[in-house]
Amino acid sequence: MLNQSMSNVNISAAKMFVFFSQLMDKPVFDKNGLRAGEVYDLVLKPSEVYPLSCALVIRKGFPNRKYAIIQWQEIQKIDKESAILRIEFASLAFSELRDEKKEFTLRRDILDQQVVDTYNHKVIRVNDIHLLSVDQALMIAHVDIGSRGLIRRLGFENSIDFIVRLLNPKAKYLHNERLVSWKYIQPLTINPVSMTIKIDVPQKNLANIPAADLGDIFLDLNIHHQIALFKSLNLANKTKIFTNIDFKTQRSLLEELNDSDIAELLNNIPSDEATDFLEKLPSEQTKRVLNLIENKYSKRLSQLLGYSGDSAGGLMTTEYIAFPKGTTVEAALNQIRERKFKSEPAQFVYIISSTHELIGATNFRRLILANPLDPIENCAFPKTYFVHLDSSVKEVAYLMEKYKYFAIPVVDENNILQGIITVDDILSQLIAFAWRRLKRIKIIQKT
Amino acid sequence: MKKLKGFWVKILIFLSVMGPGIITANVDNDAGGITTYSVAGAHFGYALIWSFIPIIIALVIIQEMCSRMAVVTGKGLADLIREEFGAKVAFYAMVILIFSNIFNTISEFAGIAASAELFGISKYILVPACALFVWWLIVKGTYKSVEKVFLVACLFYVSYIVSGFLSKPDWKTVAQSSISPSFQFDKAYILMLIGVIGTTIAPWMQFYQQSSVVEKGIKIENYKYSRLDVVIGSFIVNIIAIFIVIVCANTLFTHGIRIESAQDAALALRPLAGKYCFYLFAFGLLNASIFSACILPLSTAYSVCEGMGWEVGVNRTFKEAPQFYSLYTAIIVIGAAVILIPNVKLIPIMLLSQATNGILLPFVLIFMLLLVNNKRLMGKYVNSRFYNICAVLIIASMILLSLILCVTAFVK
Repeated sequence: MLNQSMSNVNISAAKMFVFFSQLMDKPVFDKNGLRAGEVYDLVLKPSEVYPLSCALVIRKGFPNRKYAIIQWQEIQKIDKESAILRIEFASLAFSELRDEKKEFTLRRDILDQQVVDTYNHKVIRVNDIHLLSVDQALMIAHVDIGSRGLIRRLGFENSIDFIVRLLNPKAKYLHNERLVSWKYIQPLTINPVSMTIKIDVPQKNLANIPAADLGDIFLDLNIHHQIALFKSLNLANKTKIFTNIDFKTQRSLLEELNDSDIAELLNNIPSDEATDFLEKLPSEQTKRVLNLIENKYSKRLSQLLGYSGDSAGGLMTTEYIAFPKGTTVEAALNQIRERKFKSEPAQFVYIISSTHELIGATNFRRLILANPLDPIENCAFPKTYFVHLDSSVKEVAYLMEKYKYFAIPVVDENNILQGIITVDDILSQLIAFAWRRLKRIKIIQKT
Repeated sequence: MKKLKGFWVKILIFLSVMGPGIITANVDNDAGGITTYSVAGAHFGYALIWSFIPIIIALVIIQEMCSRMAVVTGKGLADLIREEFGAKVAFYAMVILIFSNIFNTISEFAGIAASAELFGISKYILVPACALFVWWLIVKGTYKSVEKVFLVACLFYVSYIVSGFLSKPDWKTVAQSSISPSFQFDKAYILMLIGVIGTTIAPWMQFYQQSSVVEKGIKIENYKYSRLDVVIGSFIVNIIAIFIVIVCANTLFTHGIRIESAQDAALALRPLAGKYCFYLFAFGLLNASIFSACILPLSTAYSVCEGMGWEVGVNRTFKEAPQFYSLYTAIIVIGAAVILIPNVKLIPIMLLSQATNGILLPFVLIFMLLLVNNKRLMGKYVNSRFYNICAVLIIASMILLSLILCVTAFVK
């Protein structure tokens, strides 16, 4: 299934295509046939889905290397043999430095670098770049991440091809390239001024990656890339990543963010995830972070932090859907449609009294099937199960399993609804208990 | 009061940053290391002891460059070589790394075989058993928890320091010979010198050290603590090495005993352990060998796969990371298989592997020097001029020594 994005390009039929490694280091001649240097790099025009080349960087001399930039319209032709310019050698301005340049180039920013493949959800290293010639310019079509690309770079392509052809003329190796379309590729070049990464793939692409995978991709990056990428993302993606990485990485990100960013981030993280994180921080830092957060939310968080981590109070989240007794089913459904919740509450709706006491519980299915004009308590479950703030993980798990609930409400000693515990919070606790056994199961499944 | 608090905060930061330097140092004192130092002391007395002062300086300088690169760029050495010099150069650098590390792994298994001899166990049992154990530790991911056991067992080296004092060396001669360089244009001497340098400053160490600093995620503000870690590590290696040389010079060289087998090397611990010296030495050698046999194949596989852009990691399955596991397994299998050849000579293998390190070292250092002076990567943290002069001197002298070795090999 993952191989779908690796379009199987038949090489012999693809004359319009050229690999960047086939152009690299090829001689460059000026319009009089005088050797000017060799092809070094391509400068790309930004702001396009498939970037086009806009200038050529050539190099001459050894060991004192000098570089010159030539605009694309001044190039007569460029192919696997050589490049020919429309201008004279004398008009080229060679200089020693080219590292300071801010533009986006193939050799420095993509080739051999790590990039994020948003289709296959992983961090990959680019072995070669597949270019398509369009209207005289070159366009990035794919990146090559396969072993053949690597062998081509080493200069062994012909000999290895020969050996493989000798042994097995129908070998898959000869016809398949592991290419990933550029539209799925997010480069990780950090802008030296703003210290951020320009997001080329639409953030939607990243948003489509399951949160846990996004977290894994993120952990594969080095710390500078992590920080730069994080700063460049939108809030939704930031929240998704932050709640799916380990504490050590969370903490190093927090150190890099300014106060308003921290506040914005933590205001949008579900309370159970936020307390998970805050409770591991040293108390001084917890205080500082809590001060940054919106007043109402931080009060709730500090209350949650007071409960022990493995009690119902410590596990619960304070995001749930509750309606006062007497609300009509129709009104309740409308409010559910309109409201935006931080986490997806597990399809349960609670009915409370005016003093916030828990009266009953129902679920979406019952609500939808009920008469819209009835008061909401009419469709409640016949009996309401709940746990107390100090109930243990085991009690909670037992109840949830017994009654097949995805979420269970938590009340205090006065029967006031405090929060809910969802099945995923319980699962992660149980997995920690059953860790060794689980690992064994995982290995058996994989083999 | 406030000052005191600041002091404790500093200690705490140091403890959190500490590790890479000290662990690398202990892995550095592997089977090849112990053997090389022992032979250096037993065959040449104090004649090589002067080399440790320049070696300490060189080791600190080189390891410091590694951790600085790790902290500033957040990338491993293999990644940097690939990203800055391209696929071709990275490929050949990785070939050098694999080549030298296969040799090193062979020498670790030679260490295991040698301790098997001392324990009176057949090497045909202990070597495959250890190879399987090492492979299993990493693949099952239990390595991290066992690492501390290895580190504690490294206290074995203290026995060399105690033996050193018990053997009552003439400290004046030791001090004199450690500050007055002497050089012999003799093939055995030069090979020994290259071996001593190569075992102390091995190519794999630079890759390993840099990756472990990256993994620790040390911030540039705390870099000075990381530097302290490097300095402490370097001193630990060298102090132990010096004591091994002193002990062997004092117990073996003076009696004209040449080290032909592990048994001879174990005699050096006699002042401390008496007739139990064989067991003590065998235990230390076994621990050192297994410790390094875990780290060497793993760090090679990591570096190579990172540099080549292959999937990396012990938390992936074989199907997800085939190159990683094949490489890791192949290095262990080759390492163990060579030692299982009947009648293979263990001590020369260990010495030769360390000399290979010494010969290959300058190539790795040249890459490091180019990278650490790259302004785009390192910004204001590029090498100072003093550093560069030292590094160039180290590279030049290593190349010169290798050349002299070639010449003497042909002259004789």
